[in-house]
Amino acid sequence: MSLSYAIVVTDTYLQVFIHLKAILMQPLAKWIGFCWLMLACISAHAVSQVSISADRIEHPQFDAQQVKLALTLNKSPILQIKTQVKAKADKDWAQLNVNCQVSTKIQTGRWDCTQGQFKTSRIDIPFDLQISRLYTQGVPDVIAGIHFKNAKYGDEAGLHAIEQFTGDLNINAKQQGEAWLWQTTVDWQKGEVFWQPFYVAEGGHKFTAKGRYENDLLSFDTTRLTMAKVGELALEGQLRTSDLKLINLKANLPSLNLATAYPLLFKPLLEKTAFNNAEMEGKVSLKVDIQDSEVKTFDLLLNDVNVADNNQKFAFYKLNAHIPWSYDTPQNVSLNYESGELLDMPLGNTAVKAEVNRYAVTTPNIRLPILDGALNLSDVSAARVGGQWVWHLRAEIEPISMAELSTSLKLPRMEGLASAAIPLVTYNNGKVTTDGNIQLKLFNGVTTISQLTLQDPLGNTPKLNADIIMRNLDLGDLTRTFSFGAIEGKLDADIANLQLQNWKPVNFDAAIKSSPGKYPKKISQRAVENISALGGAGAAAAVQRSVLRFFEEFNYEKIGLNCKLRNDICYMSGVESTAQGYVIVKGRGIPAITVMGYNQTVGWADLIGRLKRVTDSNSKPIIK
Amino acid sequence: MKKILFGLLLVSGLLASQLGMAAADLEINTPAISALQNSMQNRHGQLASFYTSGAIGLTKDGLIAVKDASAVPLKDRQSLNALVAAENADRNKLYKEIAAANAHPEWEAEIRSTFAQRWVQKAQSGWYYQDASGWVKR
Repeated sequence: MSLSYAIVVTDTYLQVFIHLKAILMQPLAKWIGFCWLMLACISAHAVSQVSISADRIEHPQFDAQQVKLALTLNKSPILQIKTQVKAKADKDWAQLNVNCQVSTKIQTGRWDCTQGQFKTSRIDIPFDLQISRLYTQGVPDVIAGIHFKNAKYGDEAGLHAIEQFTGDLNINAKQQGEAWLWQTTVDWQKGEVFWQPFYVAEGGHKFTAKGRYENDLLSFDTTRLTMAKVGELALEGQLRTSDLKLINLKANLPSLNLATAYPLLFKPLLEKTAFNNAEMEGKVSLKVDIQDSEVKTFDLLLNDVNVADNNQKFAFYKLNAHIPWSYDTPQNVSLNYESGELLDMPLGNTAVKAEVNRYAVTTPNIRLPILDGALNLSDVSAARVGGQWVWHLRAEIEPISMAELSTSLKLPRMEGLASAAIPLVTYNNGKVTTDGNIQLKLFNGVTTISQLTLQDPLGNTPKLNADIIMRNLDLGDLTRTFSFGAIEGKLDADIANLQLQNWKPVNFDAAIKSSPGKYPKKISQRAVENISALGGAGAAAAVQRSVLRFFEEFNYEKIGLNCKLRNDICYMSGVESTAQGYVIVKGRGIPAITVMGYNQTVGWADLIGRLKRVTDSNSKPIIK
Repeated sequence: MKKILFGLLLVSGLLASQLGMAAADLEINTPAISALQNSMQNRHGQLASFYTSGAIGLTKDGLIAVKDASAVPLKDRQSLNALVAAENADRNKLYKEIAAANAHPEWEAEIRSTFAQRWVQKAQSGWYYQDASGWVKR
């Protein structure tokens, strides 16, 4: 320690100039001791104020500069401190000002510091400080309280910030041998906090903790955080202070109100999941046991929870679940909900039981009732590998009536049944792949979907790939369903290499043709007009002008239309090619009609527009 | 003569590879691309004031980043982070989708850097963007 100072004593005034170059050994204690030494020295003199100033004080953890201490001596002495301080690692200096009414009994007396302020360009903490006690019988035993008034804090990046913070921090710390016994309470009365990723808009929260500090180890027991309107969190554990490693922690949230806890605690943590924009309500309780900074066990209970996605992609109502988890031993999970929705598909009462073995979940069977049928998932196995979920299962659809399903999917009402048996469904890297066929019994025919893969189904760029084969569709049912104008007959369709993006087709090789076999084949005047209209307005008008308009319906031999969709262009062909175009409907007998297509290429959007106009105009009542 | 021929071949080879890249259609449209564009357009209304206040800026790699969160009231900082994360997820997908729609998934990096330049060119004055030296005000 090198120290140089000068003391100037006058009758009423004493000034000390100090230059402290390097105070390395317990500088604060020596500093206080030095001040008191000065006080003791001068008490004999009839002085009314002592001023001490230092250019710079250095300490292993912090630096101070432009230190000014002024002690006004009267019955209740007042110590005025003005200094600039900074932690060793910091660049910017902070201004620290405080006025303290000083007790003459240094160890047991009370210090009342008011008008305290700690200020930098980003931080402004006005405070009052009371130190009620520093020592008991020569042993450090501090009782102190700080009251913050509209304090403001912000880090450089703005990721941690506090504004208008008003509250109290009370500390009691007592030395016992090598250890310190401590307890603290924080009463957060007012103020908003953003501590990435969390945001708390207002105060009303309390934190109490008590424990022991010894050899770099901070133990805390009976620690309680009470968050207004959300719930209470009880903690106990040990933290190594040198590297902030959590040696162990037991956390217990006995009853959390999900409606308020979701936006505050869970939403920020679920930002990258499908649950980042939902409404939730219900009660949750959670127990977590952490050892060596790793979760060892947890136990999550959901009680009558409702979850609804704001983008209407999914919803679960009256969800109850018990989800225990342990790193060491397999656990049984149970979950059930009364009803729900997934991509507009209504889900019925469902109960799931599964075994969780560290990062793998298995269950022999899950039955998801959907309308009057169900989706049966069996041999379900999911595992978290490299931070991503991978799962596989066998799926079976118990027949679901298409009438109800199509209505709930906001499609034209279709009669029939949907059923499926898929031996293997796998999910990997955000992609669902199926190995097997989904069979739909629609329009009295059979539709088989194979090679189905689905990517990002709940995201904003869902993609679907599939091959679809349809056999013996009843054209009567089909044309009635889509208000197309009556056609009698049967239809086969092959849609290969179907690719949907955002549920819109971008690629396929479609071939529609009359099914082989004997059955009545008739096409109505309106259907002829509509098919013609698909080829452009001119073609339809041509039919209307011809004599054919006097006939209600015609016989046909075969119908066929192919569309190869690439880059928004449909490359079209029909049952036969002619010099001018292609035949879509080939007539037979009398009256016979042949409907031709002339455009070999049609823009997909155009075609859909025409189809929509046709079906729309037909579904409207025609008033003559 | 050989040298000249070789030189010509080299030049034409280089030209061809340049032309190959130039064929990347950045305006190409697929339902996935238009879904992403819609999503980004809807979000832009919420992001615009953050660009103006300097809270966020355009990065070199065709994304956006929080430049100065303290320019934003505390209550909006969480949603700012969420908006930036969502925008970047969309932008990453957009570059990938445009490359895929051009049937050249390997062009993604070039498409990204072309877009990065475009975003900066289209930026309004007062907005921030990143260059080799750091944040620059336009």
